[in-house]
Amino acid sequence: MPGLTSPKTRRTAGARLAVVAATAVLPLALASCTDNANANATGATDGPIQVTSTDTECKVSAAVAPSGNLTFAVKNDGAEVTEFYVLAEDGLRIVAEVENIGPGITRNLVLTAPAGKYTTACKPGMQGDGIRADFTVKDSGKQATADADHQKLVDTGVTQYTAYVKDQTEQLVAGTREFAAAYAAGDAAKAKSLYAATRMHWERIEPVAESFGDLDPKLDAREADLEPGQKWTGWHRAEKDLFPPAGYKALTAAERSAISKQLVADTGELSTRTRTVELSADKLGNGAKELLDEVARGKVTGEEEIWSHTDLWDFQANVDGARIAFENLKPALEQKDAALAKDLDAKFSALQAELKTHAKGDGFAYYNELSKDEVQQLSALVDALGEPLSKLTAAVVL
Amino acid sequence: MTANFLIGLREGLEATLIVVLLMAYLTKSGRRALLPRLWAGVGIAVAVSVGFGALLTFGPRGLTFEAQEAIGGGLSIVAVGLVTWMVFWMARTARTLGSELRSRVDGVADGAAWGLVLVAALAVGREGLETALFLWAAAQASGESGTPLSGALLGLAVAAGLGYLLHRGVLKVNLSRFFTWTGVALVVIAGGVLAYGVHDLQEAGILPGLHSLAFDVSAAVPPSSWYGTLLKGTLNFSPATTWLEATAWVLYAVPVMFCYLRANFRRRLRPAAETPAATAAIAS
Ligand SMILES: [Cu+2]
Repeated sequence: MPGLTSPKTRRTAGARLAVVAATAVLPLALASCTDNANANATGATDGPIQVTSTDTECKVSAAVAPSGNLTFAVKNDGAEVTEFYVLAEDGLRIVAEVENIGPGITRNLVLTAPAGKYTTACKPGMQGDGIRADFTVKDSGKQATADADHQKLVDTGVTQYTAYVKDQTEQLVAGTREFAAAYAAGDAAKAKSLYAATRMHWERIEPVAESFGDLDPKLDAREADLEPGQKWTGWHRAEKDLFPPAGYKALTAAERSAISKQLVADTGELSTRTRTVELSADKLGNGAKELLDEVARGKVTGEEEIWSHTDLWDFQANVDGARIAFENLKPALEQKDAALAKDLDAKFSALQAELKTHAKGDGFAYYNELSKDEVQQLSALVDALGEPLSKLTAAVVL
Repeated sequence: MTANFLIGLREGLEATLIVVLLMAYLTKSGRRALLPRLWAGVGIAVAVSVGFGALLTFGPRGLTFEAQEAIGGGLSIVAVGLVTWMVFWMARTARTLGSELRSRVDGVADGAAWGLVLVAALAVGREGLETALFLWAAAQASGESGTPLSGALLGLAVAAGLGYLLHRGVLKVNLSRFFTWTGVALVVIAGGVLAYGVHDLQEAGILPGLHSLAFDVSAAVPPSSWYGTLLKGTLNFSPATTWLEATAWVLYAVPVMFCYLRANFRRRLRPAAETPAATAAIAS
């Protein structure tokens, strides 16, 4: 970079930089003004939403607001510097924030918010996740943003689903630890009670988990599917031991402990790998379809949980996972094929309603308690949903 | 009071450090005549920030969050470009310093006039708007409670005082070391400004990866502590740094530092006859 150039050239370089800097920043500043919501203005809503942040609390005067321009007047009543965030529903994307709110100071946060679910957060001390609360913006008829371009909707959907996968994985890791501890300690009653509920976190994100070809068999192989010479580990190994068939020889404490350790380690590995997994709209769409196929192949037949008969938990979890993927893609789908979105909505609801009739307490009826007709009914609804669901990916991506 | 003081201190240091080092450089290289340009840049930035801050606080229109972040982040990145250019300009003019090419050097300095104004304006301006918004909010609050504004202003004053002390201290350093170290310091600071700019753009959703952290030491270095404040104010060090920020820092600081040091070593290897002449030029 050093080297002698003539003074003349250098002067132009300086001037050019000045022009570049000015042209880069000015239009940006001009294009991005927004109305300062004024409490006295006619037609304005109920004035700013009052937020009071202390070192331990984050009080928001309203949990619901109409779409359009919103003003949060954030007052710091604590001793530490605080920040206030409006986050998207996933709790990750920052919609708007105001930083550097010193003690005793009120600062306004003005944003244009379309209808939807949000999360508010105060961050006293400027670190950690902050004190969070749900916040809803209702459609006021005034369409706040016209920038609903397709790619943006798709990207938002993918981001939300990625957050969902992360959340489910975290719950899976925590749940697996608890289950494994109970199982290894020989507390069969507790392990049995945790079995189906914990597995739901796995079943909800199965397409992502299955994308790691080596982990899936380690964690979820059924005895019937074992390859010759394959070591049997994972959930179903524990299942057989906890819900033993007649004539079954129980595992020793050492064997149980080994299975538990392996289960926790493999789940941890899964969690690490999902952190960096790159999702995309087609993976969401195809994943939703895979989940439903999974239902049709394993759950409807009652093969998945052959000893515990907790297939309906898995069934529900697969449907959850598929529905979340669909819902994250729905705003983008509605632009391309509103009829398909409507059809999918209706068929998900129908299947969910039928599933609900088999709910028992926090869980479900055991699969061997269902009548042949009831299984038939579920199967028909799964097939009915599978048909439009197979069109989801193409409709969104193409 | 303390918390508001720390905000003033941090924002003040962030804004002044680059200006202070450039000031020391101009003084030391016998170009005090260019100092008004630096001050003009600072003046413009302060006036624009305070004016805009007042307008955005009391006027009918506010700035969207994205715009605030994009302006802050954008200005930071432009500032890094200009500071880098300055650092090499300094290395280059230092080489010809005190030689018979003096008139030519002044020509060079003329060419950098706009650059000096701009660097000063950007260094102060990138933090200026945010600080001005805070100060106006504090001024409103001080009507009720009195202390927040004085705390923040005291922090700014201490930052200015520290800047002055640094300026004086740097002036005492031996000449050849001075040129190396101001440059090194500016590269490190500019790296921090770049990382900070990247973070702003991540928050605005313009760049991805806001949640992939390279490290998080906020438990050991709380952002609200005095040392957290100093680290942030001087080096723009963020205790929770994303991968993208860290990558930007390394990709900037390492090659630029390498080029800069190489340029300096070449200068040192030149005939020693230049050094006394340079000292004489300063003494005059
Ligand atoms: Cu700052």
